[in-house]
Formats: sequence, structure tokens, C-alpha cells
Amino acid sequence: MLTMMDFVKREWRALWQSPWQLALVTYIPIVSVLCLWWLFSAGLPRQLPVAVVDLDNSQISRMLTRKMSANAVMKLESYGQLDLAIKDMREAKVYAIVVIPYQFKYQLLTSKSPTIDIRYNSQYLLVGKLLSSQIQMSLGAGLFKSAEQKLLMSGVNHASIAVNLSPVTSQTTALFNRNNNYVGFLVPPVLIALWQLLAMMVFSNALNKELITVNNQVTLPQDLWIKVLAKCAVFLPIMLLHSSFILLLLYQYLQLPYAGALGVLIIAQAIMLIALWLIVTMIFLMMKDSARCVSFCTALFAPAFAFMGITFPVNEMPELAQYWRLLMPSSHYIDSHVSVVSYGADSALVLQQLSSYWMFIFILPVIVGLWHRAPKSSGDTLDTGLLDSSSSVKSEFI
Amino acid sequence: MTFWALYFAEWRALLADKAIVVTLFGGVVFYSVLYPLPYLHQVPTEQTIVVVDQDNSSLSRKLTRHADASAKIHIIAHANSIDEAKQLIQQGNAYGLLVIPEGFRRNLLLGKGATLSYGGDASYFLIYSAVAEGLVAAGMDAGKQVQLMGLLARGENPTLADQNINSVNINAVPVFNPSLGYTPYVVPGLFILILHQTLLIGTGILGAGQWRKKGYWQQVSPMAIFSARMAMFVSLYSVFSSFYIGYCFYAYQVTVLGTLAETALMMLPFLLATTAAGITLSCLFTRRDLPTQIFLLSSMPILFVAGFVWPIALIPEPLVWMSQVIPAIPAINSMLTLNQMGADWSAIMPQWLQMWLMFAVFSGLALVGIKYRQNQISKIH
Repeated sequence: MLTMMDFVKREWRALWQSPWQLALVTYIPIVSVLCLWWLFSAGLPRQLPVAVVDLDNSQISRMLTRKMSANAVMKLESYGQLDLAIKDMREAKVYAIVVIPYQFKYQLLTSKSPTIDIRYNSQYLLVGKLLSSQIQMSLGAGLFKSAEQKLLMSGVNHASIAVNLSPVTSQTTALFNRNNNYVGFLVPPVLIALWQLLAMMVFSNALNKELITVNNQVTLPQDLWIKVLAKCAVFLPIMLLHSSFILLLLYQYLQLPYAGALGVLIIAQAIMLIALWLIVTMIFLMMKDSARCVSFCTALFAPAFAFMGITFPVNEMPELAQYWRLLMPSSHYIDSHVSVVSYGADSALVLQQLSSYWMFIFILPVIVGLWHRAPKSSGDTLDTGLLDSSSSVKSEFI
Repeated sequence: MTFWALYFAEWRALLADKAIVVTLFGGVVFYSVLYPLPYLHQVPTEQTIVVVDQDNSSLSRKLTRHADASAKIHIIAHANSIDEAKQLIQQGNAYGLLVIPEGFRRNLLLGKGATLSYGGDASYFLIYSAVAEGLVAAGMDAGKQVQLMGLLARGENPTLADQNINSVNINAVPVFNPSLGYTPYVVPGLFILILHQTLLIGTGILGAGQWRKKGYWQQVSPMAIFSARMAMFVSLYSVFSSFYIGYCFYAYQVTVLGTLAETALMMLPFLLATTAAGITLSCLFTRRDLPTQIFLLSSMPILFVAGFVWPIALIPEPLVWMSQVIPAIPAINSMLTLNQMGADWSAIMPQWLQMWLMFAVFSGLALVGIKYRQNQISKIH
């Protein structure tokens, strides 16, 4: 009688013998996680090139230019002609153009409301929006100065100038991510999406090993389920180790702010993996072919990042997208992640959120149905699997 | 075997392989719908915020109404305290808050000035920017009205007063994507990447499936099988590219400024270089389920290193250098420059030549790879 332990050992042996599978659970996750973090490691956008076309060349226009160049987000480049600036804008060498018109100072002094034109590149949406608000902020600060002088000249007393200029001041706070850090905003969902893909591949590779081809007919072993359990027992801890590495990297090493207790996220990740692997198992039983199974899972999970609702808010997605989103285990998880990291949700709330996975229960009857219809091999158990795996290992990299 | 016989043999091999058909035909069509699906509403509007009105005056209520009138903001609740507002945000009911301090109207009328506080959930950048933009606009408007009232009360002439308040107009206009929509921003780069990745996967699976079996591919010279495979994939992907760039770009309201001839000329070396790269890389595989996995893992890094999501100047230089061997990188950049931002052909010339160079190098490598596989199988049998 074979015990569960034998199957787990068999799983470890199979893992050890397959170079690709071993790579997927060891260095590939670590290298890709570090690479993706490195890519965004700058964190805050700064020194973005902006073209300034100063057609006025007056004291005020130069003062405005200086104000703008004091802003860390921008790196100003002066252009003599608008045409050249437009050309460079089209080639994405600069992300915005600020045009200070001819006779700007003259018009200002004669109360004629001159117009400063700003064009920002919204093809690069995030950069463009950021520059637009930063340019306006810097210009506003500069114009404040000149308006102050004007008021002083017209005899307003010094103490009431600030109130006269802007009676309502505002204080804008970015909640939960104080300095609008991109590492805190974008990197966690990107890494979770990557981790989901890795978990999907690892599990579908492991399942595909169980396919037995006899006389061009693909069959499944009789004791598939205990093998699947053994796979979960092996790969669940490994994948959770990687996700813990991600959490440690982000919130301990990089010290991104977090409000709640991160430990409970590991439970959420475990549930997410189980939901993910249920889908993978269903697809595996439907396809019964390694390449097709992987291709189909890829098609399903590759766009998971877009559906997480971090870059684009969920409540603005079309209804169909919102339903599709619920099929992705990563979107369920990311909700818990945000509520723990940003809002400091306690464990009870996170566990309550896990109930959103309820619909994955409906996969179980489908899996059972597919299992009953699938052709099964008559041969005995542990050895065929081993033979099968070792033979495929040999031919893996000729 | 003539070239045409080989060409059709390639087609048969492709269509007979269900995994490739799923990835290529299924994937290309499925992704063209699925990827832009979440972004179809383009801009976040009516983001929910809560108001903490500690003033409860006519002016504070007016401000609240003005904020609610903004297309970007929807006020869902009035909270009694900031703590209460915080709870609503933490429960996910609201994404921002507006705090109107006590004595807001009184201080303004006394000429003391007042400070409004806005907060937006910066765990979601688009929501945060929508909330901040909406509230700042409403707050500025309220400020200007108070200012105008003050000036008029002091006996200023209305036109002059108006000029005093708006001494300089700032006219900020987005260009190339005038609606600030999300699909025009994501789709051009993403679709090039989808074409690139599916093409690499297709050539990869086809190669990996063949190298270990005898077949038509080993009976001809490497050059012959290479040209036939190139011709087959490039003709298939010309159709896919036409669908993506010709139809989908219009359907998703992407800005299209390039001419047909120029865009086609730009795509040609991209398809050639990618197919050649695919055939080269396929020589490294013998397992049919591997190409999909490897190229899938590379998708997200390629997307982010291309420089349209995150500015290229902020990406560490070693990563940018390494990315230059990937055909999708110059292709995405020249697509954006040429077609979305309407630059001259001369602007993309370096990238265009870079793609031709890639084509040359990958072709050489592919020939070596095919030769190696052919020798190997003849040794085995």
C-alpha cells in the first residue's frame, strides 16, 4: 500500500529531474521579480524633458522658466522655434511644450490676460498627466509672485496680500501612498501577476507529466487524485515561499509603507493558489495535451494584470470585464492585498473577503464530470508515472 | 520540392497542429477583444468621495454641490468626522474625501483665508488623479467666486475684476490622445507586443514539434525551409497585422496619423525580424509546451521596458541595452512615433534600420540552427 508520503517523494524526484520545472521554482521567479523591480526602481518620475519656447524673453518669462526648472519632475530644454519643439515632441524627445507668448510681459502689465500654452503628450498617459499638473503648479507659483507685486503697487497692505490672491488654499493628500511612489503602486500587482503565471505553469507542467500515451491514445492514471494532492503538497509551500519573498522584498527590504499585518496575506495567497490550480486542473482534463493545456492557460491568465483594477479602476470597467475579472484568482487576492497594505484591514476582514472565491466551487462538479468521461489507463500506478517522467526528462533538452 | 510545395507543406503543418492554431488564431482574435476590454470606458468618471463638512454654511454647501457637479466626482456621503470618512474609505465605499474646516465661510468673508483639505486613495493612481483634479477645480472655482465678490464689494468694475482674477490664462491641452483615453494609450504598444509574442510562440511550437521527427523539413536545404517558413508566417501575420492596425486601431479609437504606405513599410522589417527570431529560438526547443511558457514570462518585462508605460529615461540603462535585441522594442517605438504622434519617416529611420539588422542577424542564426537540427536528426536515424 502506497502512502501519501511516497507520492510526495515521487513528486520531489520528478521535480529534481526536470530542469525546466526546477528552474521555474528556483531562479526564474527570483530573477524576474528582481528584474521587474529594478525596472521601476526609480520610483518617482523626475527629470522628464520639457520644451520651453520663450517668445517673450522678458524678466517675467525668465522668472517663470526658472520656477519650472526648480521642479524636480521636469528638465527644461529651451527652444528658439516652436517648429523644432513640435518635431521633438512628435519623436518623444520631449513630453510637453510650454509656449510663453510674444509680448507676454507687456500684456500682463496692461491687464490684457495673456495666455500661456501648454501641450502635453497624452500618448504617454501617466507621464503626460503628471507633467500637466506639475507645469501648472510651477507656473501658478511663479505667477503668484508677479500678482503679489501688482497688488502691492496698487496699494494693498502687505498682510492681506496672500488672502487677496487666493482666499481658498488647498492641501491635497495622497492617501496610503504619500509621495505617489510608483514602486508602491505598480510593482506589487505586477509581481503578483507574474507569480500567478509562474504558479500556473508549474502546476500545469506537473499535471502534464501524468498523461500516459498508449497507442496514440492519451489516458489518465487511475490514482490521479492522490497525485494531484501530492503536487499541491509539494508546490504550495514552494510557491508561498516565493510570494513571501516578494512581500519581504517590498515591505521589509524596500520598506514600502504597509498598514496591516502581512502574515494573513499568506493565507490569502494559499487560497488564491488553490483557486488557480482548480482552473488549471479543469483545463488539463479538457485538453489532455501538454502544449494545448499550457497555451490555453496562457490565453486565460496572461491578461490578468489588466483586470486587477489597479491601473484602471474596477468600477469603470464594462460589466463583462467585471465578470471576467472574477474568474481571475489574482483579482480576488489583490483586493485583500490592498486592504491590508493600504487600509490596515485586520485578519477577520481578510478572511471574510476570502468568501469571494465561492464561485470557484462550481468548478468541482465540472472536474468530476470530466474525470468520469476521461479514458483511464489500466496499468499500475507509481511506476508508470516515474517511467513516464524520467523518459520525458531525457528527451527534454537534446 | 519546389518553393511553393514547401510553402503549402508549411501551411499544412501549421494548421494540423492544434496548439499552434489555438495560440495563433484563437489568441490573436481573443486578445484583440480581451486586453482592451477593461479599458473601454476610457476615463475614470464619477469617483466616489465623502465630504466632511464641519462648517455647514451656505458657501460650504455650494462648494459641495459644485464638487458633485464635476464629472470626475460623485459625493456618496456626508460624514461627521474624518474618522468616519476614513472608515468609509477603508470599506471601499469611497476613494477620496473633502474636508471643509469649521468657520470656512466666516473666515473667507472676514478676509482671513481658509484651507480646504482633499484626500484621494493613491493606491489607485487614476482614481487619485480624478479625485484630485475634480476637487482642485471645484475649490479653485469657490475661491475665485469669493475673490470676485470681494472685488465687486470694493467697488471694482466687473470686467476689470474678472481680469484681476484671471490675470494669465493657462491653456493646457493634451495632444496625440486628446481625450486622455486609456485604450489609445495602451492599445498601440500592446497590440504590437501581442503580434510579436504570438508569432514567436507559433514558430517556437512548430519548430519544437518537428525537430525530433523526420519530415519534409529535413529533406531540403536549410535555406529552402527557412524561406518557406518565413513566407508562410509573414503572409499569415500580414493578415493579422492588417486586422490589428487596420481594423482594431479604428475600433478602439486610437489616434492614427501615419499613412498606409509608411505604416506598412514600418511593419515589414518587424514581421521579418520577428519571424527570423522565432525560427532561431525554435531551434533551442524540442518540447512543444516550452515556447509558450518562456515567451509568456518575457511578455510583461518587454511591455514595461518598451518605455510607453514607464518613461524610458527612468529605466536602468543596462535593461534598455539588453532590450534592444528584441524586435518588439524598436517596433513599438516606431509605431508610436510614426502612427500615433505623426512624426516624419526620418524620425524612425534608425529603428527601422535596427529591425533590418535584426532580420539579417537572426536569419543567419536561424540557418545555423536549422542546419544543426538537420544534422542531429540524420545522425540519430
